[in-house]
Amino acid sequence: MTAAGQAMHFQTRAGQQLRDAVLQRALRKARPLFVGKRARGMAGLAADGLDFESLRSTAKNIRNRTLADLDVWLAIFEERATASGAEVLWARDGEEVARLVVDLAKRHGVSLATKSKSMLSEEARLNEALAAAGVRPVETDLGEYIVQLAGEPPSHIIAPAVHKTLGQVESLFAEAHGRPPVDRGADDIPVMAREARAVLRQHFLSAEMGISGANFLIAETGSAALVTNEGNGRMVTTLPRLHVVITGIEKVVPMLEDFATLMRLLPRSATGQAISNYVSLLTGTKRPGDLDGPEKTVFILVDNGRAKLLGSDYQDMLRCIRCGACMNHCPVYFALGGHAYGWVYPGPMGSVLTPLLTGLDKAPDLPHASTGCNQCGSVCPVDIPLPELMHRLREEQVERRLQPWPERLALGLWGGLARRPALYRRATRLAARYLDWLAEGSGRIRIFGLAPQWTAGRDLPVAAGRTFHELYAARKRD
Amino acid sequence: MTARDEILARVRQGVGRGDFAARRAAAEAALQAAQRGPQPAIVADPAADLASRLRDKAASLASTVDTVADWAAAPAAVARYLVAHELGEAAVATPEVATLDWAGAGLQVAGRGAEDADRVGISGCFCGIAETGTLLLLSGAATPATVSLLPETHIALLAASRIVATLEDAFALVRAEHGSLPRALNFISGPSRTGDIEQTIVLGAHGPCRVHLILIGDAS
Ligand code: SF4
Repeated sequence: MTAAGQAMHFQTRAGQQLRDAVLQRALRKARPLFVGKRARGMAGLAADGLDFESLRSTAKNIRNRTLADLDVWLAIFEERATASGAEVLWARDGEEVARLVVDLAKRHGVSLATKSKSMLSEEARLNEALAAAGVRPVETDLGEYIVQLAGEPPSHIIAPAVHKTLGQVESLFAEAHGRPPVDRGADDIPVMAREARAVLRQHFLSAEMGISGANFLIAETGSAALVTNEGNGRMVTTLPRLHVVITGIEKVVPMLEDFATLMRLLPRSATGQAISNYVSLLTGTKRPGDLDGPEKTVFILVDNGRAKLLGSDYQDMLRCIRCGACMNHCPVYFALGGHAYGWVYPGPMGSVLTPLLTGLDKAPDLPHASTGCNQCGSVCPVDIPLPELMHRLREEQVERRLQPWPERLALGLWGGLARRPALYRRATRLAARYLDWLAEGSGRIRIFGLAPQWTAGRDLPVAAGRTFHELYAARKRD
Repeated sequence: MTARDEILARVRQGVGRGDFAARRAAAEAALQAAQRGPQPAIVADPAADLASRLRDKAASLASTVDTVADWAAAPAAVARYLVAHELGEAAVATPEVATLDWAGAGLQVAGRGAEDADRVGISGCFCGIAETGTLLLLSGAATPATVSLLPETHIALLAASRIVATLEDAFALVRAEHGSLPRALNFISGPSRTGDIEQTIVLGAHGPCRVHLILIGDAS
């Protein structure tokens, strides 16, 4: 798992990713698929007589209502989850999550833990903590399994291995499964999925602890809702004797009817499916007479920077249901891939959430990772104004003087000039001539020394060699 | 301060309102009201044929669907499917449906939870959901969850009279018949799948590779 500090280096990483040809090939292939899937999902909604806008305003309202009384809904959830036989624990931050899980593992003699995808366990760097405590964590979502073998963090919240090509997956499998690598084509993908199934099946059967996230917590019933396609979520929550659910405090929704509304949007926004293959509502523990299910279920409700967003300018971000649609429609995400964002959450939602949860000073570039196209905002199923929130973060950077230093320097110089009109005119005239000279009259600059990263993947167009002031003056004379 | 108290204090501060008791009462009232969001067109359509909608949707999820007249005809239908797919004569079934006359159809069916070696699992369903072609299975002593999970082939028996229109209708049925929720409500929509290698969809990830639905007593 990357450290939060990695989000510091967005620009450097972005440059590396732009030059990585294999990554670029994987991303080029995925983008139209993601976009096409959601479009088909939306067409399905319309065919059922449902309207995206009215569904999303209902969904937005559900999330807003919950957040407005989050203290009440958390209290109801805790009471009912406890009454159904589960234990509810709380964690202030990622470190506390890791400590609680390691402690549970030790007390229950756990040596192997199977995991269904949990972004919060990435926030907590849980796998490292478990390994350090002698517990083997095994990711079981196929994409998560692939990135775990590669020793990398996920690069997408619903398609963790979207940056990996077939060939890369094959070499990872060959090495991990102790067999010689084979030349694989697209027709072999089912064979490879079967191989992973067989290996992971043994882990499912022997793990003493299952760790999952929760897509939602239902206050009414004290349940966790888990949505998966592979069935690994069901395995992890059915077979081991101990089940630990790790999730953010904002994931609660009032009741089953609200969950039903959100489920009409979540899979369609994520993968275009009308419903995911497996949706499970898990309540309490194994009941008397039951032949399966965990003997102990523990919820870990995590803050890690969320509570302080309540009532702030950024509260809207807490509506997020982690569908991934914003990154699937983001030109910046598809130019760079998820790893460039440096922390758990990539794409537009990551550009907002990472600075909010880890500190704006630690992710200074992320609020700038936008083209302003607002595709993210228009597809978001809970109507989060992502570009607006990024804009607000940029304003906050200026107020707190946290912009990247070249920007601060440039703005400082410009500010000084702007207050001295004569000097300003002279300086801009000089600059315009200089740029024109750099462009050799072609109107484009290929490598611009003041912003080398900016011109590494594109040209800087140049004005006609005269400033606006000069042109304006000339026009007035005509 | 414990983590719990500290987090809840922060949440209360963020919420910024003191009238906890009044807001709690309003929340409880909202839970009673159980208000539904926008509903699909089939809900308002008196002529909607839920069984044929469920059949179509299940097929589009890559399940296969068969229809028989009554429960007594189910074992022979299962036997036909197993022969057609060369899946042998042995299966595990949930105790709930293990009482059907499987031997009469030439099958060896054990009523218990499933194990890794079981190739075929036979279960009933709590209900079917026409909107999405989904099967709802509840966990319980007579309905272990492993039967629909571990074997490569899951055969589900569903009475046509148990088909509802939407997820909300399914929740209403659970509340009416069970009161509180069992340990697991499993909504199953076709065989398990993954798209994690180059976005190529493969059926049969960790759950079953095949889901065969036998609708019982569908007059349509
Ligand atoms: S911000 Fe919106 S679109 Fe992005 S993951 Fe969250 S809910 Fe989905």
